[in-house]
Amino acid sequence: MDSSSGDINLTDLSQNDKRELQQFVSNEAQKAKIQSTVHYLTDMCWKRCITSKISSGQMDSYERPCMENCVERYIDSQMTVLKHLEQMRGSI
Amino acid sequence: MDSFTNTLGVNQQSKKQAWMDKIRTEAAVEQARALIDKVTDNCFEKCVPKPGSTLTSGETTCINQCMEKYMSAWNTVSRKYIERIQAKDI
Repeated sequence: MDSSSGDINLTDLSQNDKRELQQFVSNEAQKAKIQSTVHYLTDMCWKRCITSKISSGQMDSYERPCMENCVERYIDSQMTVLKHLEQMRGSI
Repeated sequence: MDSFTNTLGVNQQSKKQAWMDKIRTEAAVEQARALIDKVTDNCFEKCVPKPGSTLTSGETTCINQCMEKYMSAWNTVSRKYIERIQAKDI
């Protein structure tokens, strides 16, 4: 993307270093994927749970549990879909 | 010979380190950009329903509070989500 990308030549790294870098990249990719899911969930749950007008920088006693429940129920729904899909596949 | 391999080792070490730092930085920048986008979207929606000729002080206060609230909500979601994906059932 920027001009400094070319400055780092990886071809003369040892096997060990290459392996370590691969592990590092795969960890970073995993982290990025989790963070992007968190962005998605925050956006969606915010729209559902933060419904009154903003009067402070903190979530109130309704909003916080609502955000937490929203995440939990979303994952439950995802699991339900997967489970049902599995059943449907078995019945074909 | 010993000092030669050492130098080479250090050189490679710093090269590897530079590469990792670059990836970490890019990930952090991307992460910040995504958060700023979401905060702006959601707080504009909440705080500036009828855009006037200037941003009023009320709207500015609302945006600042909304931003803090959104970040706090982000942390809550992150904690919950990671808790869930680390649990056995997923």
